Amino acid sequence: TLKDEFDHVVKKQKLASSRTIDLVNQIEKEIEQAIGAIQENGTDRDAASNLNHEILTNLKNTLKELVPVKQLESCQKEMNTALGKWVKTTEKFFINDISKAYKNVDMEPHVLNEIIANHLYREALFDIGDNFLGEASCLASIKLKQLFQEMYEIFGALRTEKSEPALSWAMKNHDALLQNDSCLELKLHQLQFVEILKQGKRDEALQYARTYLAPFATIHKDVIQKLIASILWAGRLDQSPYTEFLVPTNWEKLAEEFAQQFCNLKGQSSTGPMGMTVAAGAEVLPILLKLMTVLTAKREWHSMKEFPFPLDLRRDFQFHSVFICPVLREQGSDDNPPMLLPCGHVLSKQSTVKLSKSSSRSFKCPYCPFEALASECKRLYI
Amino acid sequence: MEEGARAEELQVQRCRARLDRLAAASAGDDAEWEDIRLKRILVDYMLRMSYYDTATKLAETSGIQDLVDIDVFLDAKRVIDSLRNKEIAPALAWCAENKSRLKKSKSKLEFLLRLQEFVELVKAKNFLQAISYARKYLAPWGSTHMKELQRVTATLVFRSSTNCAQYKVLFEQNQWDSLVDQFKQEFYKLYGMTLEPLLNIYLQAGLTALKTPFCFEGNCPKEDPLSLDGFRKLAEPLPFSKQHHSKLVCHITKELMDTENPPLVLPNGYVYSTKALDEMAKKNGGKIICPRTGEECNYTELVKAYIS
Repeated sequence: TLKDEFDHVVKKQKLASSRTIDLVNQIEKEIEQAIGAIQENGTDRDAASNLNHEILTNLKNTLKELVPVKQLESCQKEMNTALGKWVKTTEKFFINDISKAYKNVDMEPHVLNEIIANHLYREALFDIGDNFLGEASCLASIKLKQLFQEMYEIFGALRTEKSEPALSWAMKNHDALLQNDSCLELKLHQLQFVEILKQGKRDEALQYARTYLAPFATIHKDVIQKLIASILWAGRLDQSPYTEFLVPTNWEKLAEEFAQQFCNLKGQSSTGPMGMTVAAGAEVLPILLKLMTVLTAKREWHSMKEFPFPLDLRRDFQFHSVFICPVLREQGSDDNPPMLLPCGHVLSKQSTVKLSKSSSRSFKCPYCPFEALASECKRLYI
Repeated sequence: MEEGARAEELQVQRCRARLDRLAAASAGDDAEWEDIRLKRILVDYMLRMSYYDTATKLAETSGIQDLVDIDVFLDAKRVIDSLRNKEIAPALAWCAENKSRLKKSKSKLEFLLRLQEFVELVKAKNFLQAISYARKYLAPWGSTHMKELQRVTATLVFRSSTNCAQYKVLFEQNQWDSLVDQFKQEFYKLYGMTLEPLLNIYLQAGLTALKTPFCFEGNCPKEDPLSLDGFRKLAEPLPFSKQHHSKLVCHITKELMDTENPPLVLPNGYVYSTKALDEMAKKNGGKIICPRTGEECNYTELVKAYIS
């Protein structure tokens, strides 16, 4: 496997470098020894020079025996072969050039930079976002930045188990949250309520319930009933039948819920658009690259209005309903809407007209033996 | 030598980090893994656009230094900056360093650099120096690039303020910019990088996959990136994606209606998911109110639809 090959290369590399260092150290030692010996011989010229000559010849012989150059060469060669093999394996394993799937059209830098800046703000990387704006010298929406700063303040507070900022935000947006069917506000009030109960302050709890929990009485009747009843056990909730309120809150989940509602109310998508597009791109790229080998000329892709092959994305990326008639393979429209046959199968209007040939004869559904008249088909609104 | 060993160690560490990361990639949607991928792609984009400061900061805060090649780009930055300052030396040094690789890919970067130096000499009216320079450095390239060589040497005859279009172009300042581009291209090729930023490639693929005619209608849901102006603009020249199978999204829950959550049809013809209608019936004691028309009916009147 890939990892094994890589480990092999690393081993060779370590071997090569350690051998090199060892060899050089050895040579250094020999030379130092020789220098030391020469120095010991003193400065007496004739005797010294003979001894020195001997020492030098010895040194030369020892060094020759070590065959340093050859050893180094062989180590290096081993490492290089391993490296070359590794490169070949990676080339086989991975697709080398993903730009083959790229249509050479200009992406306007300032549009792109704006999108990037907005994305950085959305990910709470405010400093980096500002830095980016400076370097890229582009503008970004200040409103957006402030929006997300507000969101992350409350988000951060929730994650550190402080629910006050979230509560005040939720109360401010009471109506909108109700419209979205969100029980976020109730959950936050519930937290406060339970805290008061834990401290045994019965009257305060009752007062709190009257002011804040009452508006939710009709919608979330059963929860409110339980909460009010638990006032009787103020201070000793663990002995009550309502120990469920003592379960420690999942603050992370609460923070996520808050973020989602916040984005929803402010007209933002709950996942960043850039993240979504890149993830969609990553999913589709393998298919595109395969197709590039099939399309004979790249020009074909350039001039197309519609991509000729289906690019299927996973569930999270489906935002629009589309009906494709299984018979004619055409997209549904106002002129050619989907029609429900009495058997439960759905065809486009044109298909039903074609199959029945005249409006008084019945036709057989292509999927089951059921017969139907064109007039019995109901128009569907998806 | 120790430095060499250290450099090798660093590369090994980088390779290992990337291999580990690839091994950790799970088949499904792992949000954290995808988040790091996005950050890596962004750092790559910023490095290519020369926003080095932001790139370094982003890499540091996300801890992805081993997954991006900041120092490789910083090396290139030196050369690019010097070229912008009209200095040839660092670029030539880079060419010398990577001589064998450049030769393999038949690059003419060095030739272009030498040509530019020649033109600069002509501009400064050092004609004799220019000619000796040409003899020394441009002649070896004559066998492969004769035509270009001839064209540029002809500038000797013209004044730098000439109006003759063919030669005026050679004296322009933006020749240096084209040199920078040429260098960048060679640089990317050498390190096996794509010529375009990764971000563009991914965005293009994603936009094509997400682009449908419905995105441009008024009620495009906010969750769709193509409801935003910036994305729409980028997606303009791209083709629409084609659908081969019906995909129905419930108007109430915004979820896909498939075999696990089949579509149900009201008597008035409107279609919603089983999940949504089940919940509505539970809350309203078996009554169904169509959210789009307000018409009421009973849960028992709903019919199942089979859409392939």
